[in-house]
Amino acid sequence: MSIRQRIALTWLGFGAGAIAVCLGAPLVGSTSIDFSRVFDTSIPFADNIDAQIFFVARLPRVMAGAMVGSALAASGVIFQALLRNALATPFTLGVSAGAALGAILALTFDLPSGIAGFSAVPIASFAGALGAVAIVYALARARRQGLSTNVLLLAGVTLNSFFSALIIFVQFLADQTQTFRTVRWLMGDLDVSSYAPMIAAIPPIALSFAAFAVLPRSLNLLSISDESAASRGVDVHRTQRLAFLSASLATGAAVSLGGPVGFIGIVVPHLVRLLVGADHRLVLPASALGGAAFLVACDTVSRTALSPLEIPVGVLTAIIGGPFFLWLLIRSR
Amino acid sequence: MAAYTKSLVVIAAVLVVFAGVPSAQAPATPQRIISLIPSVTEMLFAIGAGPRVVGVGSFDRYPPEVLTRTKVGGLIDPDIERIISLKPDLMVVYATQTDLRTQMDRAHIPIYLYQHSGLPDITTTIRAVGKRVGNERAAEELARQIEDDIAATRRRVAGRPRPRTLLVFGRDPETLRGIYASGGIGFLHDMLEAAGATNVFADVKGQSIQATSEVILARAPDVILEIGIDTASSPGRNLRAWDSLASVPAVRMHRIYQVRGDEMMNPGPRVARAIQRMAEALHPQVSDK
Amino acid sequence: MAPDSVLSGLLADAVSFGYLPSQQVLHDVGATVHRGGLVGILGPNGSGKTTLLRLLAGLLTPQHGRVMLDGDDLRTLGRAAAARRMAVVPQETQLAFEYTVLEMAVMGRYPHLRGFEIEGPDDLAIAREALAATGTLHLESRLFNTLSGGEKQRVVIAGALAQFGGRERRQADITEVLLLDEPTASLDLAYQLEIRSILLQLNQQRKVTVVVSTHDLNLAAGLCRHLILLDRGRVLAAGPAEDMLKPALIQQLYGVDVDISVHARTGRLTVVPLARTGQPLHP
Repeated sequence: MSIRQRIALTWLGFGAGAIAVCLGAPLVGSTSIDFSRVFDTSIPFADNIDAQIFFVARLPRVMAGAMVGSALAASGVIFQALLRNALATPFTLGVSAGAALGAILALTFDLPSGIAGFSAVPIASFAGALGAVAIVYALARARRQGLSTNVLLLAGVTLNSFFSALIIFVQFLADQTQTFRTVRWLMGDLDVSSYAPMIAAIPPIALSFAAFAVLPRSLNLLSISDESAASRGVDVHRTQRLAFLSASLATGAAVSLGGPVGFIGIVVPHLVRLLVGADHRLVLPASALGGAAFLVACDTVSRTALSPLEIPVGVLTAIIGGPFFLWLLIRSR
Repeated sequence: MAAYTKSLVVIAAVLVVFAGVPSAQAPATPQRIISLIPSVTEMLFAIGAGPRVVGVGSFDRYPPEVLTRTKVGGLIDPDIERIISLKPDLMVVYATQTDLRTQMDRAHIPIYLYQHSGLPDITTTIRAVGKRVGNERAAEELARQIEDDIAATRRRVAGRPRPRTLLVFGRDPETLRGIYASGGIGFLHDMLEAAGATNVFADVKGQSIQATSEVILARAPDVILEIGIDTASSPGRNLRAWDSLASVPAVRMHRIYQVRGDEMMNPGPRVARAIQRMAEALHPQVSDK
Repeated sequence: MAPDSVLSGLLADAVSFGYLPSQQVLHDVGATVHRGGLVGILGPNGSGKTTLLRLLAGLLTPQHGRVMLDGDDLRTLGRAAAARRMAVVPQETQLAFEYTVLEMAVMGRYPHLRGFEIEGPDDLAIAREALAATGTLHLESRLFNTLSGGEKQRVVIAGALAQFGGRERRQADITEVLLLDEPTASLDLAYQLEIRSILLQLNQQRKVTVVVSTHDLNLAAGLCRHLILLDRGRVLAAGPAEDMLKPALIQQLYGVDVDISVHARTGRLTVVPLARTGQPLHP
């Protein structure tokens, strides 16, 4: 099978899977709803419980899940290529710690957003993410023109530790309720119940995905070594910058929308590579689509398994991710 | 027969005495009390033991005199050094603070274990605390008063239709995310029931539940009651956020109420007043008279 | 030297370079690689061999001087155009991901792909042909990581080879350069011989210009026709290999007394180190 055929097949296969999951998910839930009523336009929307459950509670949630899942999985692929390490995650370089710090500051000190109808939490979260990215970028660039991979890793890991310490300190200042809410935020929550947060997240995610579209071939080369890439015509500095900034932007937006949902950025790329190989022209789109499907599926279980209680979606992805890695480890030895 | 009965009485008395002793060597009347729990601090002041309170928890605020006492931490972070330096002869701690208990035992500081779940536990605790600090009579009066007041409120709302109510005690500002509502267990639930409403989550076997939009839409409460919303920075949560759940009867009928005040979430002496205020919000025709 | 030779081949013209402003690695270095040549850059560690190789390959830009390929300054030639005529083989290749041998070879075609173009059957044919030239075509479906050291190196050379050869007919008058950094340093003896014979073959049959940077005297002696001796960032001497491999020059470069002779059975020059200069032969 030629590479062209494989690319087409990958898009088709994973695309169909993602569409199926995203179309099916709003049909499933803890409440059984009557679908003839959902689409019955003769009933005024404000009175139509079934339509409200579908369009206000479930659909935004599925859309948020698809956005967050695809952004995190795709970013995971980019970071793994950039750092030349299959164990890198979107959270390795401190973006999510920055986002968490922002969100937790907003939650603990009840910061006002200044915009009526908008909570400060996602705004502060995104600002925190951007701050973290700026610091890591500045540190990694400090000595050389490009982004030294080692310095990037060191800067990111250091920032992670530093921000985590700050987070603990802020929690210490908080009272019990606030601490509980921040812990809960850290477990991920896709119940957006309106389209506004997603519309706000679309520009950064769209921008990132536009960058992702041009990266795969360069990532194939860059993932081997700087030299392999440069000797084949890749502008290494520019590619590293683009990869780092776009993946960080996507991660920051995703975490601001749904919290730091773990394991998607590493489980999905791994599974995808087992199925399609290592060529990033296959791995990147497949991971984006697979990530959307994976998170939406997890969230569906999350909101139906213990109804009316919810399993935080990050807990679910961890429950799946942990054993998955054990299995990977066992099978590779 | 008399001797036999007498020895039985003696044995029974001994058993009662020992069963009633909460912990280590207890002095007759504690003179230096530290309380980590806001509601117990309130109780101590309400029954007249205020002057003997030398240390309070970080989050205690009522009555105002509390602010003049030394702060020693709370559930997560009790400051052991500061506690010991105050030389207390009674420590009121959460039953779950096992580390702290061990350290207090080692320092030979007598402790009173606080546990709470439902509404009746409030008056039980008032009585027990009163006995422990030697203010039994004042405690009994206070407990009786609270019970009477609650009973009065129950009577006032008896016979009125009980609205299905969502009792929200936490919500992210400006949005409908992170909504925490009272489950079917605990004093918030009991307060709601006493105030003449049915908890829409009465079937949930827990004190709280994070309510998602789907679940709220499905349960369709007639009234939404928000408490615990006072903060320095935002004078009131934006109620417009609820508009997106348009099919909920409480939203359609504009029956969303906010009841402010820190006594609303405090299982302490002001609980009767809190229930009364809930009742007034749920049944506007009912007033204090 | 033919008068127009400077216009065909790779030329470093008085280049100076330092990674940090305070540390100059190369001082006013000149190097000429004729088209079809087999040149070795020889010197001890730290002499600047790898840096010179990278400058010649266009991976680094000199602070003074210039590098020219077939008369074009590399700076004006452009990254992509240079990548179609010059390919670098690093000392070792370690992969974090499981690319197949064929994928590794096909990556050599990327400099020929425009925009979102995907490699076509022609590219695949060129990649396979490159694998065949290094005797690794039978490994094409294997994962690169599962190969032996010698097989890996041959596959990387094939990937470099695949960078040559445009979609149009092969032009006869361009120089195609393979630059290798310590190509045999991490290989077992048998693989060392293999690489040597592949490089000779590529040079003689496919007219590939080969530049090798090494500190291995016998590799230089057995493979290269011309040598550039690099001593602490300066050119000590340059010229035909038999003129460069003289005990006096080697002694100046390495501080070691050596015996250089023609090996009876192979006809190649061999270098036998005797002792550090000033030390007795038998301690």
